Amino acid sequence: MTRLFDPTIILVVLGAVALSFAEGAMPGWVVYMTQLAIAAALPALGCMIMLRSGLLSFGQGLYYFLGAYGIALTQDHLGLTDAFAGLAVGVLASVVVAIVIGLFLARYRGIFFAMLTLALSMVVYGIAIKMDLFGRSDGLNVARLSYLGLTPGREWASASLFFLCVWLFALAAIATHLYLTSRFGKMLSAIHDNETRVEYLGWSVRHAVHVNYVVAAVLGSLGGAVAAASARYADPSLAYWTTSGEFVFIVLISGQASVLSPLFGSAFLEVLRAYASAHFPDEWQLVLGAVMLLIILFLPKGLGHLFVLAKRAVVRPAGAAERKERAR
Amino acid sequence: MNLAQIILIDGISYAGWLFLVSIGLTLVFGVLRLLNIAHGGFYALGAYVAAYAIGLAAQNGFGVGVQLLVALVGACGVGGLVGLLVERTVLRRLYDHPEVLTLFATYAVFLILEDVTKLVFGGQPIYAFQPRNAFGMVDLGPLAYPVYDVATVAVAALVAAAVWFVLNRTKTGRCVIAVVNDREMAASMGVNVTAIMIGTFVVGTALGAFAGAITAPKIAVAPGIGVEVVVLAFAVIVIGGLGSIGGAVVGALVVGIARAAATHLAPDFAVFAVYAAMAVVLTIRPYGLFARPMARKI
Repeated sequence: MTRLFDPTIILVVLGAVALSFAEGAMPGWVVYMTQLAIAAALPALGCMIMLRSGLLSFGQGLYYFLGAYGIALTQDHLGLTDAFAGLAVGVLASVVVAIVIGLFLARYRGIFFAMLTLALSMVVYGIAIKMDLFGRSDGLNVARLSYLGLTPGREWASASLFFLCVWLFALAAIATHLYLTSRFGKMLSAIHDNETRVEYLGWSVRHAVHVNYVVAAVLGSLGGAVAAASARYADPSLAYWTTSGEFVFIVLISGQASVLSPLFGSAFLEVLRAYASAHFPDEWQLVLGAVMLLIILFLPKGLGHLFVLAKRAVVRPAGAAERKERAR
Repeated sequence: MNLAQIILIDGISYAGWLFLVSIGLTLVFGVLRLLNIAHGGFYALGAYVAAYAIGLAAQNGFGVGVQLLVALVGACGVGGLVGLLVERTVLRRLYDHPEVLTLFATYAVFLILEDVTKLVFGGQPIYAFQPRNAFGMVDLGPLAYPVYDVATVAVAALVAAAVWFVLNRTKTGRCVIAVVNDREMAASMGVNVTAIMIGTFVVGTALGAFAGAITAPKIAVAPGIGVEVVVLAFAVIVIGGLGSIGGAVVGALVVGIARAAATHLAPDFAVFAVYAAMAVVLTIRPYGLFARPMARKI
């Protein structure tokens, strides 16, 4: 129980409460952009927990796709507009797919892992643009959601969706935080440092990577559901490689310090996208790539590291230099 | 002619193309130890330069020979120059960084290249079918096959022979092999490692552009042709073993024949054939057919 009074968790809850109250005062476009930022932050959180164990996934778009189509297909084929039914279908599909694929993927590391995840999501994209079930390249429309039998009226529809997105993210962030601070979560960093030693300690690295992959898949599908519900449609480009690349990019911008980092990263990305699409509508990839390169070259630890650098410049603990000298 | 022969011909023709596409990628990986995702960008760049050059030469009334010559030389030149630029401005700073970061940097370069190519050549598809049409068809048994596609296989064989010759029979090639095997030892023996690395990267990107130029007359050159190529080329070189030239030949044959077989026997599964082949090989040999497993360090 004491772990629930962690500063990060308190911050997440306070933030979610503040956003819920601020919704009435926020203009529509801010609400929408916040939802989009949350939609991208969830799969990015999945990328982050995989990067904790040193694995780079270029295929989180696969689960983003499954989550979004969980909402869309539940409406089309089961006739249910319920948000939680759609979420459950997407999450279930992702878990099944991730368990099966993970059996194969968990053996690979480094570029093998990265490229195999990329290939898998491109296979799904290739199938989806050719199948009527997924609406081919046009995608499917998503109707307004209902919540456990309650259908909000027109004036409440956007607010209720916003609450759902915010609290979904808050719950996911808290769960991920508890996961990362658990014994299992701490082992992920150990795997990153040295796999062989972890195995000598009696843990199965392959099993841990597999479990971690499934958790990341669930986060990805939650993000996809938020994206589909917010944009009101789902299309195969959710599984496209550039979508997956954006999630890794978010982690790269924000760093991996906390479960809240991806939200800052994706908010930055949304602002960048809004700015770029206003000024350079056809060169979005160019802007994205250039910003990415600049960050890799000059801030390889992410924008979050700016805080650390600033803190170091301002606060110089007494005797720090001396201690460093002695440590040598 | 039975189905097996048709599959074999189709498979070899596709394998020739696959080899051309992957040779640059595997060469760069072997020497620089980095997977260049931007390879697909260089392929697309080469295809665009070639399609543009062929169109220009055709407008000015030049024959097919000149069209192809201009296209290939232009594509290799542009590809090599851009490769040099990328190596000097980006990769050079990243050799000491973790693998994840360099992988991501090449990804960023790919994004930039895609858009720059689109900006320079426009978003509309460019067609450059003239050379392929001019060569006509040849009868392979009862099967009429474009001469251009048969020639592609010959070009692939020539490139393979040239790369083998340079690596094994010239002094520079020997130095490259020395760098692949042990960078520090090679440096201490007086090999200019930096020059070898720059040279390999430039040759690798020029080869990527060359593959694009060869392909341009066969396809509609449009934005987005690069990404499929990276994934395919990765499948090819991972089957053979990353960094192995012989492996790229075998990988191209495996993927080519698997794809041709799937296209003729089960067209719905053609998309999967490549990945299925890759999955089978990787399950049996996790590092590919011709690569030695890496030792695990405690």
